[in-house]
Order: sequence, then structure tokens, then C-alpha cells
Amino acid sequence: MSAILRRLRVWFRALARRDVVDREMRDEIARHIERSTERLIARGLTRDEALAEAAREFGNVGRIYEQSRDARGVTAVENFLQDIRYAARGLHRTPAFTIGVVLTLALGVAANATVFGVVDRLLFRPPPYLAAPDRSHQLYFARTVNGAEAIGEAYQYQRFVDLAETSTSMDLLVAFSTIRGEDTMDAEVAMANASLWRFFDATPVAGRFFTPAEDRWENGARVAVLSYDYWRSQFGGASSVIGQTITIATQKYTVIGIAPRGFRGLAGDMPAMFLPIAVAAGDLIGPGWMAERTSYASSWFGLWGRRAPGVSVEAATAELTRAFAASYRRQLAAEPQYTPPIETVKPHMLLASVLADRGPHASGESRVTAWLLAVSLIVLVIACANVGNLLLTRALDRRREIAVRLALGVSRGRLVRGILAESALLATLGATLGLIVAQLAGSFLVRMLMPVTGTSGAMTDPRTLIFSGGITAFIVLVSSAAPLAQLGRTDVIASLKSGGRGLSPRASRVRATLGALQVSLSVILVVGAGLFVHSLERVAAIPLGYDAGNLLVVDPKLRGAALDSASEAALRQSLLDRARANPAVASVTLASSAPFSGARITLPFVAGLDSASTVRLGEFILQLASPSYFATMGTRVIRGRGFTDADRNGAPRVVVVSDAVARALWPNQDAIGQCLRLAKPTADCRTVVGVAENIRQLRIDSDRGLEIYVPAAQGGAGFTRLVVRTRHDASSVAESLRRDLAGLMPAGAYIAVTPLSTRIANVTRAWRLGAVMFSAFGALAAIVAAVGLYGVVSYGVNQRGHEIGIRMALGARALDIVRLVVGEALTVTTFGVAIGCSIAWLVAPRIGPLLFGISSHDAGSYAGACIALLIATLVAALVPTARAVRFDAAVALRAD
Amino acid sequence: MARDNASLLPGTLDLIVLQLLSAEPTNGYDLALRIQAISHDVLNVNAGSLYPALYRLEEKGLIKAAWAQTDAGRKAKVYSVTAAGKRSLVDQRDTWERFAGALAAILKTT
Repeated sequence: MSAILRRLRVWFRALARRDVVDREMRDEIARHIERSTERLIARGLTRDEALAEAAREFGNVGRIYEQSRDARGVTAVENFLQDIRYAARGLHRTPAFTIGVVLTLALGVAANATVFGVVDRLLFRPPPYLAAPDRSHQLYFARTVNGAEAIGEAYQYQRFVDLAETSTSMDLLVAFSTIRGEDTMDAEVAMANASLWRFFDATPVAGRFFTPAEDRWENGARVAVLSYDYWRSQFGGASSVIGQTITIATQKYTVIGIAPRGFRGLAGDMPAMFLPIAVAAGDLIGPGWMAERTSYASSWFGLWGRRAPGVSVEAATAELTRAFAASYRRQLAAEPQYTPPIETVKPHMLLASVLADRGPHASGESRVTAWLLAVSLIVLVIACANVGNLLLTRALDRRREIAVRLALGVSRGRLVRGILAESALLATLGATLGLIVAQLAGSFLVRMLMPVTGTSGAMTDPRTLIFSGGITAFIVLVSSAAPLAQLGRTDVIASLKSGGRGLSPRASRVRATLGALQVSLSVILVVGAGLFVHSLERVAAIPLGYDAGNLLVVDPKLRGAALDSASEAALRQSLLDRARANPAVASVTLASSAPFSGARITLPFVAGLDSASTVRLGEFILQLASPSYFATMGTRVIRGRGFTDADRNGAPRVVVVSDAVARALWPNQDAIGQCLRLAKPTADCRTVVGVAENIRQLRIDSDRGLEIYVPAAQGGAGFTRLVVRTRHDASSVAESLRRDLAGLMPAGAYIAVTPLSTRIANVTRAWRLGAVMFSAFGALAAIVAAVGLYGVVSYGVNQRGHEIGIRMALGARALDIVRLVVGEALTVTTFGVAIGCSIAWLVAPRIGPLLFGISSHDAGSYAGACIALLIATLVAALVPTARAVRFDAAVALRAD
Repeated sequence: MARDNASLLPGTLDLIVLQLLSAEPTNGYDLALRIQAISHDVLNVNAGSLYPALYRLEEKGLIKAAWAQTDAGRKAKVYSVTAAGKRSLVDQRDTWERFAGALAAILKTT
């Protein structure tokens, strides 16, 4: 350590006090020579003779300076600065080259920094302040349902209590959940047990966190810890907020503390505040839940845990599985009628990453993003190959200069450092610009494409900066490889003789190889873009069975407000009337569920089918609908009729079924007029009066579309939603409608209005992300590769100016020259395309699961990529070819 | 020139400098003269290798330099051995003596 310090001090002195040190050295040597001279004069030499003899004795002063300075480590630093200055001067002389390279690198770095930021957030970075990341896990459980294993992450409170009581392998168990709807702000509120604060290593900015004693059913405390962001935005960061009360649902909570900046617990988004879960659940979920809190009926929060020190993942998994089994037996004993036997359920626990997107099953977005990181690295490699090519061109153009410097005795090591200094300078400029671009455009991009919030800009995030630094080093090494290889081959004599011109077949081969590499990598990206764009087209073309444009889903959240059925019906009616009265609204319907937001499952009983065979047909969805339902949704009734006001309570019971239900239940008969009973074989017979087209309700990519519609008036209670068709753009109406309807809600309740298009955007995000990013990167790659090819062809034309001149002098026609030049470019591209397509063909099956309705070997995508690159090649070859054709043979030959 | 350096085995200059400076701190010029005098002109150390050696030892922290008034009243850079330099000298001297003893023994066998 002290050696390093001393070395640093010497270097610092060498740099900062270079003049002083040099002057001291010169003084000392001058004194030496002076005293030698005096001694020699004393021996009887004349002053001139003595001076000459003293200098001879001393030796070469200049060399001694050099050696002495080497010994002091000055030279290395000075050389380095000199290399950088030299490189900077060189780059300044060729601004077009410099700007081209810096922009290319900036694009590569910006793409990587942006994508890295997102991937890091989704897959690698633990939540801020996590105390022991290596021992912390999200806990999942697996159970076998209908013969297939399913993984769950939502727990019942009683299960959590059981596990916390019996588990010995875990230090901490954290129950954590978020729920929307603080006051009327529609902000997200987090609920957790007090272990949350030990799971993290965070100290409150002000006040304190809540304690286990405050997190109790009875005699708990209504206390709240605000998130830093919420505190800043809602209370201006005033510490006087501690001790104030805020209204959450119908209750007053006392603010006891402020969480530190960036702390979001285990939530994906920054919540407004953190509440003790046992206290808040009753207020936020509703009184019904309080009644069943000791049952195993409702699962609603996630569970995280920290292994005790020294306990392996395997041991903890086994131990938690035993604890889960014990809890399950307790459940069996308490609720035997709802609980399948443990032998068929085979429950076991899974310890996974703290990060939800890693999960036991990675989310679609995280898988696409991981691919994007690979893609952005490919873009970077293409950029590097391009820059390497340009640097190589420079090295070739400077062959004569380099040969002269070698002949003058400049060491090859020094030239190597010169090349490295040049690429380091370029890479640093490129990386800086890239980070600025990522800072400005990155967060916009992330917001547009990702459900991730709280991403800081590229330049303010240390991890992204470190990553970008690594990338910069990578660029320096990769992009200087080709010119360095060329330097190693420089033959001084030959270069001086040929005047630094003439052919260098080897260098052209390197250039052609780099060109082919760029083309092949671009092909891979363009193929990927084609596959994702086609997938997205297929997704967009899926017949949804409803007209998703201009639909708003209105969710009244009653929460704590306890309403009897009469006042609930009155509220429903007044919401309907108010919505209908809004001038922007075309039509309104009641609906028990809206697409992609859950559904009620039912089991139909019909003559000739036992329940076991009906269950095998799939899950049947029960949809309660008012007469305006089909018109509002835009779902066509293909046979029979929809509902009318006549289908009221007390009238003959009717149902409408989807086409899929009609075909499944009555394969060889007309469904209209058939009798269908719901839920129980003894239920009333409902007559099928209509068949509607199939809709996508639960999943967009695969949905059986087994829909059974029951008139709202005949279906009993349980209306939770309104669906509204607006006259113009739904999202612009959403907020005014929400405010309009919120006034009707009882105290403590609130209302959420979401455009259906938002929900559809959520379920199609992974494809859209893939299509947008692969297209952007693919286009970027193709452009960079085209520029690279342009360089290759253009250089070739310059090099072969003589040859072309002679050919034309000998009577070659313009067409022959075109064939010569374009042929060369096409050869490079053909190689690249062949290699790229082969690699894409091999790799593509791995993105198969992310595609939709298209084979990963879709011929169109491959052909399209090949054609795109061939066109890019022709465009790139255009200008150099035009120049070649215009070559004046006389000029070319005279130049010799 | 050739004779001067030929008589100096590689690595020995550092040992000589350390030995002489540990006896008495002095400046570069007087050090050169002293090497010559003590070795009876056998070792004529060229300034061209002495000064780089001094700077190298200084950088390694084995000797240190200070500007001081000479007897003649002029300023000169005076070198002295540091604690680390003394330790290094002991090591190097041992090594050298073992080496010289072994070499002498070999040369005596006929």
C-alpha cells in the first residue's frame, strides 16, 4: 500500500511539479560539470579544454536526462499525455472521421446504458436498502391442481401466521402487499408487518418506523410511515408532518415517520406510505375480510423471508415445505369441505429471487429485456467493428508516416500506445455523448415501454456508469484490434518504397471480414425485428370479440363503506344514470367483469353431459350484463337475440352463450332454446336465447372463449363494474368521468376509471417492446453496417484507382466498372447475410416462446432481412461506384 | 568507456552507492570521485550511469535527497540512506559476500 502511495506521490510530483523537478535535475548536473571543469583547470587545462573534457567525461547529457526521468517514472506519464495530445491533434485534423466515430459509439453506448438500466432494475438490482441480499428471498409455493403444478405467490394471513410460528430456518418473514386508493388520491399504499424494517437496513429521515406491538388486530395502532417522495410532493418535506393525521379509507392514521429517499420496500412502484398490515387490512380491504382473517379463504399478499445465517437454500426450502404442510393440515382440519387432500395437492415451497420479475418463472418483459441487452451488445459490436474499420483505414492511410516513425526509431510499443490513445479518446468522447443521450432519451424510452418506475438517469446511476466504463474499455480493445494487427505487419522498407500507397490484400481482407461481420450481425437483428413485428401484427389482428377502442372500465371500490343491498342497488343506478348523462358517453353497461381483469368462473349443467366431462371442456366464465352490454362492448350476437329490458327479475330466465360454449355443450344441435343450469344441477333452468361471438377475456394469446352471459337483473348481486363507450378518445374522457362519478361514492370509497386500451397495452407489452426495440436496433445496425460497407467499397475504389484507370484506358465500359465495384460489395454482403441467417436460424428458436402466431423460422422475416441488407449494400455502394465510373484514366495514371 | 563499465557487474552500482552513502551522506559529484578514489581508479563510474542510479534509488525510497550548503557555501543536493536503504544494504551485502565467497572458492580449485 505504501509502495502504491509512494508511486502515486512520485507521479504526482512528476506531473504537477515537473518543471521544478526538471530544474533541480538540470542544476545538479550543471554543478557536476562545473566542478569537473574546475578540477581539470586545476590540473592545468585551459578553460575551453576543461569544459570540453568535462562534458566528454560526463557523457551524453540528453541521454542522462532521459534515463533519469525514466528512473523517476516521469516519462511514462509524459508519454501518455503526449500520446493523448497527439491523438487529439490527429482527430482534430479529420473532423468528419471523428464525428462519425463518436456518433457511432455514442449510439452504441446510449443503447447499452439504457437497456442495462432497465435489465438491471428488473433482474439484478436488489431493492434499495435491502439488508442481506444474498439471504433474502421471495417465497413462492407450488401445488398440484387438476394434475398440473401451479406456482402461487399470494398467501392467506393465517398461513403467514402458521409459517411464522413454526418456521425455524427463517430469520424474518415479511408479509407485504400494496393496494391502490389512499384517500381519493388513488395512490398506492403498502401494507407490511413490522419485520419489514429489519428486512431492510434503513433509518427514517424523521420520526420512527412502526413496531410489532402496533401491528396487531386488537389494540394495534393506526400509524403510517410516509415514503420520501410522497412526503416531498404532498407535504413539501416539512418535518411538522410527524404527528399529523391523514385519512385513509374511512380511518384516521397518525404519521409517525418518513422512510429514507428511494425506499420502496418490496413494491415495484414507489408507494405513498407504509402501514401495519394487520391494522390496515381491515380498513382497506373491508370489514368482510376482518371476519375471515383466521380462515384460509382469501390470499392477497406476498411473502418474503430471510434465511437464518448458515442455513442453505435447500435446507430452508425443505424446512419451509414441512412448515407449509403442517399449516395445510391445519387448514384441512378447519375447512375440510373446501380443501383438497394434501396427497393430491402436494404443496411445497420455493425460495426465489427478491426481484419479482426473476420469480420462479421470469415475466415476459424481463425475458424480452434480457434479449434486448444481448441485442444492444450486438449493436455495440457492430459499432466497434465499424470504428475498427475506420481506424484501420486511417492506419493504412498513415502507413508511410508510421513507417517513417519506425525508421526514425520510435518503438512499436509507442505506436501501439498511440493507437490505443486514439481509440481511448474516441471511446471516451463517444461514451460521454452516449450517456448524455441515454440521460435525455433513456428515461423517456423506459417510461414509454416499461412498467418500471423510479429509474434514475444513466448519468446519475453508479451501476450504469460502471457498466458504461466497462463498455468503453471494451470498445477501445475491440476497435483497436484491427489497426494493431495491421501495425504488427507493417514492413518499413516496403511501405517506404511503395510510397504508402498500393495494394495491401491482407488489409482489404481484414476490412472485408469486418464488413461481413457487421452485415451478419445486422441480419440477425433485422430477422429478430421481423419476427417481433410479425408477432405484434398477429397480436393486433387477434379478433378480440369486442371493439376495444373508446371503452372505459369503471371500477367502484366500496372498500370500508358498508352498504346494504338496497343502497348498493341505488348507488349502481345513480352511477349508471350519471355516466349516461355525460355528453362524452355514447353508451353504458353493467358488467361483472371486463377483459384482462379477472372473471368469475362457473360450471354449467346441461342434459347429456356429466359435470366431469363439462369440467374437461375448460373454464366457463360467468358474465352478468345489462341489456346494453353487447352494443356497448361491440360484441356481435350472431344468432338469436341479446338481452332486453323485458329480461327482468321474475321474467323467464334466459342466457346468451358464446359460440365456443354453444359448440362445446351442444356439438350437434342448435344451442338456441336449450336449457342450461348454472353452478348446481338443481338450479333453475335458463333458456339460451342467443349466441354471441367469442371474446378474449382472460388471456389475449390463448383463450377458449367460454362465456356465459346472464342478464344483470336475473343474476343476483355482485356487480362491480361499469363499462362505458365514449364518443371520442376514451383516455381523454377518463379523468372527467372519474371526477364526475367520484361525487356519488360514499365516504371512504373511491372509483377507478381505466381505458380498456391500457389493459390491452399491458398484456401486449412484451411483444410491442420486442417489436419496437428490435426494429430500432435492427435499423440502427443496418445503417451502421451500410456506413461500414460504404467505407469498405469507397476505400477499395481509392486503392484500385490505378487499376480502374487502366481498365478504362483499355476500353472497359462503365458497366464493367460498376460490376467490379458493386460485385465486391455484394460478395461481402452475401457472405455476411449467409452467416447471419445461419446464426439467426440457430438462435431464433430460443425466442420462440416470446413470439406469437409465427414460427421462429418464418421465411418472410429471413427473406425480408436479406433483401433489406442487400438494398442497404447497393445504396452504400452507389456513391463510390459513381466515383469509380467517373475516374479519369489520365489523372489516375499521371498520379504515379 | 568499455573498460569502465565492464569492470562493474550488473546491480553492483546500487550496492556501491548505498555503501558509500551509508558511510557519509554526500552529493553526486563527490560520490563519483570517492568511488574512483576508494577503488584506486579501478572503478571509474560514469556520471551517465551514476545519476540515473541515484534517481532510481531515490524513487525506490532507499535514499533521500536534500538541498544543503556545501563547504564552499554553494547549494548542492546531498544524498543520504534511508532506514529502508540500510536494510536493503545489509541484504545486498550478505548476498554479495556469499556470491563472492562462492566465486572465490570456485576460482581457487584448479
